[in-house]
Amino acid sequence: MTEKIPRAAIAVYLLLALALAVQVLVPDAQRQAAADAGAFLGVLVLLAILFTAGLVFQKKDARAVTDIVTVIAVILVLWEILLGKLSLLDPLLFPGPAQVFQVFVSDWQLMLYGAVGSLGIMATGYILALALAIPLGLYIGWRRRLYDVAYPIAKAVSPIPPTVYLPYAIVLLPTFAASSVFLIFIGAFWPILVGTIYGVFAVDHRIINSARTLGLSDHQMVRRILLPGAMPSIFSGAMISLIMAFISITVAEMIAATSGLGWYIEYNHQFANYDKVIAGMILIALVVIGVMFIFDRIQRHCLRWQQAE
Amino acid sequence: MDDSGTLLSRIAQLLHYKSIFPQLQSPNYIRAICPELPFREVTILATITLDNLSMQYGNNGSRYTALSNVNLTISEGNFISLIGPSGCGKSTIIDIVSGLKTPTTGSVLIDKEPVSGPGTDRGTVFQDYSLFPWMTAFENICFAIEHTGGSHTKTEIEKQAEEYLNLVGLKKFRNAYPNTLSGGMRQRVSIARMFSMNPKVFLMDEPFGALDSLNRIYMQDLLLNLWTEGERHKTVLFVTHDVDEALLLSDKIAVMTPSPGKIKEVIDVPFSRPRCRKSLGATAEYLTLKSHLLSVLYCEMLGEIEQQAQNFRGLA
Ligand SMILES: Nc1ncnc2c1ncn2[C@@H]1O[C@H](COP(=O)(O)OP(=O)(O)O)[C@@H](O)[C@H]1O
Ligand SMILES: [Mg+2]
Repeated sequence: MTEKIPRAAIAVYLLLALALAVQVLVPDAQRQAAADAGAFLGVLVLLAILFTAGLVFQKKDARAVTDIVTVIAVILVLWEILLGKLSLLDPLLFPGPAQVFQVFVSDWQLMLYGAVGSLGIMATGYILALALAIPLGLYIGWRRRLYDVAYPIAKAVSPIPPTVYLPYAIVLLPTFAASSVFLIFIGAFWPILVGTIYGVFAVDHRIINSARTLGLSDHQMVRRILLPGAMPSIFSGAMISLIMAFISITVAEMIAATSGLGWYIEYNHQFANYDKVIAGMILIALVVIGVMFIFDRIQRHCLRWQQAE
Repeated sequence: MDDSGTLLSRIAQLLHYKSIFPQLQSPNYIRAICPELPFREVTILATITLDNLSMQYGNNGSRYTALSNVNLTISEGNFISLIGPSGCGKSTIIDIVSGLKTPTTGSVLIDKEPVSGPGTDRGTVFQDYSLFPWMTAFENICFAIEHTGGSHTKTEIEKQAEEYLNLVGLKKFRNAYPNTLSGGMRQRVSIARMFSMNPKVFLMDEPFGALDSLNRIYMQDLLLNLWTEGERHKTVLFVTHDVDEALLLSDKIAVMTPSPGKIKEVIDVPFSRPRCRKSLGATAEYLTLKSHLLSVLYCEMLGEIEQQAQNFRGLA
């Protein structure tokens, strides 16, 4: 351990210690609802531990890790002091961090079920879209005549927000789960299709010629050449689809569900439990960050051949 | 006379490129690297005949004649170079022989069989983009062997791929993706791939055109060695615009001229094999042939420039 700890990292620890000290030593503002600060203190400690782990195990990205944690720590400190301790804004609408993080302790079961339920529906619709759009896109891209018909349609339809299908989906399909799976599917389908078709077209014709000289069958051509060649573009489509899917599921749950993350926020909003609304928002953000992280890892693995070193 | 070729060989001599590329010193290069390389059970050879080929591009409105009445026979085991200024239809000929393009009239015969499409009886190396970027060097070669149609087991294929990678000195880069290799290394993999497929004929379209001069020298010697030391030589159709390259490698050189592309002259290259760059470049015969080739090529170009100048004067 001869390496010097950079000054920025020390600043992060100091910020977190400051947040901790303020929480313990300074009483909450009178107007704040009484709350057990245990969860918030736990979050601060957890953040410090994660930060340390990040510094130790991600030496290459130590700078980025430090920057991100700095931003989070600054937000937490400001939130704590300005809203929690000084109550500068309406405490009902803008509760302090102690109160918000407490929700994760009291409501953890409901939140966990909500997250699992929402993710399950999303995954079903999304995987269905992948399974249908990619083969169809490869085929359309490969067959020039089909492309001339399909690509303009796909391009015109893909920017339509999938939520416009919601009223009919709810009326026509038997359960909420079925209609939201449909919604996710339809929203995710078009960007992936367009991405795949475009990707097939973007494969360099010299590479296709080289493949043709090997006398590949149509099936081999599609699987071994067009699919990997189109992969970068498929991933950009799939990324848009993923964002669409998050928006669709949240909106659908806010409108029509009886469980799930969107529902949790909407439900508590009706009862003016803004601490729970904010907790729900934080949870959604965490879920999105987690899913995006996994997506990014898969993408990096599949496109590892693209990175020139 | 601009004599970049001799200049290059002088640079190479200065740098003692044989000590830079030590494996080329061995007279029996292949055996030295791979003592038990099975140089394939049977080497099938073929004669390529270009029978009155013509090629027109574009639709009826604006037709461009890229080739007109090209006749050429490349006999079994011969190495023939097509040389000519860019745009004279060299790539078009390679594409027609490999089956990627269909000629407007005429046909290509390989052992009297007309070519009707691409196939693994012809191995092709392009200037770049021969390899698939999503496969490693090793996977690229395995993939090609898999498609040659013989019934190979997976271990056989992998063993062969390994041997050919070794042969071009890229053992260490087995698992590298093409994007991470230099242009010269990529072409070495492409050549290894072509040899590993054991096709009847080799087709190469300016395979060293994108390489720097030292790398090109190395690649020419590598190709020369690999080709010469095969038990029986393959039939090769090789495209280049480099006179020295053509003289070093070929048995015959077909000189092409543009608009419309046609073969102006076929020249015999009488040097005995195995050839060595050093001794070859020094002979009077080499220089005579070279200046002849250059004059044929430049004569055409000069005529064109003259023509353009006249047009220009006419406009002004
Ligand atoms: N697909 C094509 N469509 C139209 N013209 C083409 C096409 N391919 C080549 N040409 C034209 O045919 C001529 C010969 O091209 P090419 O065979 O590539 O020449 P080279 O390989 O000798 O440089 C050039 O003038 C080129 O512009
Ligand atoms: Mg060319």
